[in-house]
Amino acid sequence: MTTYTICIFTENTIGLLNRITIIFTRRRINIESLTVSETERKGVSRFTIVIQHESREEVEKLVRQIRKIVEVMAVFGYLNDEIVYNEIALYKIATPLGAKSLDVETINKQYKAWVVYWGLDYVVIEKTGNNDDIFAFLEYLKQYEILEFVRSGRVAVGKTEKGLVEYLPEVEWAYYL
Amino acid sequence: METVSILSEITIKPEAPAVPDVTYINGSQALMRALVAEGVETIFGYPGGAIMPVYDALYDFQDRINHILVRHEQGAAHAAEGYARVTGRAGVCLVTSGPGATNLVTGIADALIDSTPMVCIVGQVGKKLLGTDAFQEADVMGITMPITKWNYQITDADEVPDIISKAFYIAQSGRPGPVLIDITKSAQLELMTKPFAYECCKSIVSYRPRLIPKQEQIEVAAKLINEAKRPYLFVGHGVQIAKAEEELREFIEKTGIPVATTLLGQSTIPTNHPLYVGWLGMHGNYGTNVLTDQADVIIAIGMRFDDRVTGDASRFIKQAKVIHIEIDPSEIDKIIRTHAPVVGDAKEALKALLPLVHHNDHTVWRNEFRKFEAIEYEKITVPELSNNGGKIKMAEVIDLLSTKTKGEAILVTDVGQHQMMASRYYQFRRPNSLVTSGGMGTMGFALPAAFGAQVGAPDRQVVAIIGDGCFQMTLQELGTIVQNKQPVKAIILNNNFLGMVRQWQQLFHERRYSFVELQNPDFITIARGFGMDGQTCSQRDDLSNALDTMLAHDGPYLLEVIVEKEENVFPMVPSGAGVSQIRLS
Repeated sequence: MTTYTICIFTENTIGLLNRITIIFTRRRINIESLTVSETERKGVSRFTIVIQHESREEVEKLVRQIRKIVEVMAVFGYLNDEIVYNEIALYKIATPLGAKSLDVETINKQYKAWVVYWGLDYVVIEKTGNNDDIFAFLEYLKQYEILEFVRSGRVAVGKTEKGLVEYLPEVEWAYYL
Repeated sequence: METVSILSEITIKPEAPAVPDVTYINGSQALMRALVAEGVETIFGYPGGAIMPVYDALYDFQDRINHILVRHEQGAAHAAEGYARVTGRAGVCLVTSGPGATNLVTGIADALIDSTPMVCIVGQVGKKLLGTDAFQEADVMGITMPITKWNYQITDADEVPDIISKAFYIAQSGRPGPVLIDITKSAQLELMTKPFAYECCKSIVSYRPRLIPKQEQIEVAAKLINEAKRPYLFVGHGVQIAKAEEELREFIEKTGIPVATTLLGQSTIPTNHPLYVGWLGMHGNYGTNVLTDQADVIIAIGMRFDDRVTGDASRFIKQAKVIHIEIDPSEIDKIIRTHAPVVGDAKEALKALLPLVHHNDHTVWRNEFRKFEAIEYEKITVPELSNNGGKIKMAEVIDLLSTKTKGEAILVTDVGQHQMMASRYYQFRRPNSLVTSGGMGTMGFALPAAFGAQVGAPDRQVVAIIGDGCFQMTLQELGTIVQNKQPVKAIILNNNFLGMVRQWQQLFHERRYSFVELQNPDFITIARGFGMDGQTCSQRDDLSNALDTMLAHDGPYLLEVIVEKEENVFPMVPSGAGVSQIRLS
């Protein structure tokens, strides 16, 4: 199984998420994570979808089928080494009176994570990083009582020096500017 | 759906326009004006609660738009398909919300897979009722999302002109397909807040079908064609959609390449053209299938390598270099690895290729096909067309019909044995002459589609070939045909069986005939009940006269022919086998 990150640039319209995910469902491909946000261009959304697949050929077919959707402007399928990517995770840790105290120095220096909220008897720690970093930190935190753990979908940008404008020429964007 | 509830009558009160002395029109009137601006002449529809404001507006447009009242919304969808297939323009359906819309679904799915342009305008409950399980509310957007090329929900009257022009542009450009517009009752009733203005859509930022192929791709393809020793051309539906029949003829006559078509590609070139070798696929011709294994270059134009064409795709044309000319890039490499993809319109691609390819005639290679043709003729065609003393055979009916109509009719077929027989024995002479449900294999398609085809091509003879099973799925459309006085001729080839399923049960399930025999009604009495003339023919000696009577009849006519009960369609590539394992018996 290889991890692929599919980046889809679309018009921002109702129902588009459904139209895109239907294609994954039809081909029985499980979505590992999905993130949608507006890009630097107003009215243009960016979907970042992570999947695992054995066959590059099948992923290419998937990409072409997504491109066929009328509101989709461009689709790219990336391997991990072709992108810079990150996730964010929040860990809610119980800190009742008398419990083992948090080693903030290790959390900061070794795991590059930060306490972002202090409750009466809990704290919320935030960490960004890739999948492995986030789970390594989760392992470390297992010595405390973990009340909640949540992880975002992947966000990614391609490693090429091109910007959005390179593959979607400016003239075509007059409509959005 | 005729029921009108109190709920569906609840609508937003239109607010007074900002400038009171200018008359603004409402969403329904805007819709009518948009359709007229788009050049729509015919609508197939059925009224109901959530589309009533549109029907009210239509009342004033009867002189400009011919609305045809069908008997079931599925009939509207297939009629629109038939209309679109012969005219090349989008067929338009107008139905109400909920069941009206869901009844369209089969036809929409059929149009998508057979690349047929269609615009379905569907009523929806008022904006404030959306999502509340209101009377006749169904999530039509969600239901039709996977089976439309595009769909959109209009909730504001001001959107009407832009969305309708976009709908027609998307349905008819690139690879054509069905588009659905869901329009809320509130948007139909409320007044626009600006004057109506209509501009035909010419491009969409995120949707740019490539028409002109890249010159590099053309050059690679031309080189392969020029070096080929045994080239073989597959023609799909795309050539007729692109209206590239003339370009195709010039191309093959220059290169001397033998041509086979897919089911939907039939009638693209006349069947008596010296370079035409037959059609491909499960019940296609013998040589056309077997020789796919011997070609060194395959040129596939406007076709999608359906499994009914390829048999086991992992064994299909493995030895050949493949040139795939196709307007839809997602079809490239989908089933068959392509060596030279050419993305573009079939007409433009053939035009670009023509000056680059060399004159050739490939006589030896073409003669290979003739050898197989002779075997098929002797083993299958002759026995099927000759009088063996039993009942009439389907092949005899089609063969005689072909002679009597000189191959000039538009044949509309349903799905099953009669469909394959019609394709085998009708000698097409003109393009755009076979309207059939290929990809979806929709039983019940023929009668309404024949009606739509006749409306779209009033100057041509339209003959529907229908099985007794298929006929009973949409026979109520006889009423539509009679009410609209369309001279559709329908032939039921009645074997009292769901013949194709029975054939499979015989060949692959040890004759365990599981629910395939029908107790049929008296079809002619039914036709007469609808006010349509007809007769039954069960004797071979009467067949010729019966066909003459039907063809000469002024108005619609139903001819029922009692055919051999347990006849099989051969050649046949068994499901899952390679095409070279084609069976002749």
